Amino acid sequence: MGSKILEIVKLVKNYESKFKLDIDYLCAHENKILALIGPNGSGKSTIIRLANLLEKPDSGNIFFDGVQIIGSDIDKVSIRRKISVVFQEPLLFRTSVYNNILLGLSIRKQKLSDFRDSFDFLIKKLKLQKLLRRNPKSLSGGEQQRVALARALILNPRLLLLDEPLANIDQISREELQADLLDILKDTGRSTIYVTHDRDEAMILADDIAVINEGRIEQYGNKNEVFRKPVNEFVAKFIGIETLLEGTVIECENNVCKVKINKNNDNLNIDSIIFAVSDALPGTQAMLAIRPEDITLYNNEVAQELLSAMNLLTGIITDIRDTGILKKIEIDCGFKIISFVTRNSIERLELFTGKKIIAGIKASSIHLFKK
Amino acid sequence: MELIWEGIKKAFILIFTGDREIFGILLLTIRVSGIAVIISMILGIPVGLVIGLNNFRGKKFIISIINTGMGLPPVAAGLFISLFLWRSGPLGFLSIMYTPTAMTIAQILIASPIISGVTLAAVQQINPKLKYQAMSLGADRWQILWILIKEAKLPTLAAIMAGFGGIISEVGAVMMVGGNIRGQTRVLTTATVQMVRMGNFDIAIALVIILLFLTFTVNLALTFIQQRENITWAQRFWR
Repeated sequence: MGSKILEIVKLVKNYESKFKLDIDYLCAHENKILALIGPNGSGKSTIIRLANLLEKPDSGNIFFDGVQIIGSDIDKVSIRRKISVVFQEPLLFRTSVYNNILLGLSIRKQKLSDFRDSFDFLIKKLKLQKLLRRNPKSLSGGEQQRVALARALILNPRLLLLDEPLANIDQISREELQADLLDILKDTGRSTIYVTHDRDEAMILADDIAVINEGRIEQYGNKNEVFRKPVNEFVAKFIGIETLLEGTVIECENNVCKVKINKNNDNLNIDSIIFAVSDALPGTQAMLAIRPEDITLYNNEVAQELLSAMNLLTGIITDIRDTGILKKIEIDCGFKIISFVTRNSIERLELFTGKKIIAGIKASSIHLFKK
Repeated sequence: MELIWEGIKKAFILIFTGDREIFGILLLTIRVSGIAVIISMILGIPVGLVIGLNNFRGKKFIISIINTGMGLPPVAAGLFISLFLWRSGPLGFLSIMYTPTAMTIAQILIASPIISGVTLAAVQQINPKLKYQAMSLGADRWQILWILIKEAKLPTLAAIMAGFGGIISEVGAVMMVGGNIRGQTRVLTTATVQMVRMGNFDIAIALVIILLFLTFTVNLALTFIQQRENITWAQRFWR
């Protein structure tokens, strides 16, 4: 983990609308991308505005490169000059693309000649060569956001704050820009805080993730840890875990817990025991989080000893839904579980609504957390 | 009808033969209104920007005062300035009553609220997030102001046109504080009133034609500056 660039400690900001931002601790590291994810209105953009000193917190501290930057004696302009922000809207000024890109440099009274290599690199990478003389209003949303990114990146900031920069762009431009942005951030090792409500975008771009809900951080940590081990129901749902089961830990042996699931369909006479890797104590009221891609479907009863999956659940397909490339299969095992399969698998396994099916899940793929 | 036709003919003769008195009146009009509009810009544009771009207590009240100022009757402006500049008034010691300076001051009082008000309305149309963007780019207070002035360039030119239109055509204030003294404080509007009173319609028509031409020329120039940018952008866009 690199050194800490931005640390937020016990930061509180109240709004008249009764929204309250209350961040206990958050940290962005050098050369890392920290993604702030959460639903709209959860406080992600507020963090960006506070970090860029565009708003004043009610209490708490922010440290930039180890130095406290909250207080009346702070030179806000000089701090802001070390940080670049790209907002959800491109916010370009009424001048050419070229002048927009160089605006930050001219504010700092710096010459383009000192930034020529960086300028050429960004213009090429962000495909702006042919747009430099254009009026920003004549550009598409994606092109405008590319200009805004170039304007922010050419300043060579210590910290880059990106506040949902891809949110208002059409799907094709978005994917293209996402790839270009990732290239640039990785190539330049830029320390970044990236705000998004799109978990897939966070998964692609980030090193660390903080999940924010109603002004509070629900979970903060390494991307894989957050995605594999959500700490509560909100985080689990937000990061796309479709199967969340409530149950009670009956016994644990060698870090494998036997959990009795609360059934919601008593008509099905099916065993409701699931094994999950955890060190929880017997009697714990637990939630089991299972990612759809971790559920494998079988047509016939398979010999348990042939599989590494400890859980083989029998259920009935209650729904098959198109979600683009994959199909979402809803299975009633006495409790609802969701699996994603390809169209090929649908045909090969001859899956249809009402069909009896076996679902295999490895105990290690199931994440158990206290309810 | 014959009176009008004769008047127009004589007016053109006066204009094209370069009548000295009319030429003097034109120059004084340009000087008084030109200086007044420039000072009104210096006063009115920053006031409009500061009020338009910031939120503070009493903002609505101040805007109401400016809006009232925009409709200030010239005779009221003339009266206020007269009261101050009158020999026994608070600024009587300056002895500038019935001088072009007094006329300029009266016109500043008329044009400043117009320029402020139109600028204020214009900058309120600017996306308020642009101020945040300028701040986040590291701009200091003055740089932010300058960036936003440039952003409001087109509507600000409209404010200048409105201010100029308001003073070049007014007669009440300049008559009151200037006194319409021949060769000293007589401008196009006061001279026109005087000539009509005297029945010199040919000269009055000549003065009005000059006044219209002057107003048209200034507005044409400002419109060209205002529209040039849009036209260029549009041409690039459709190219």
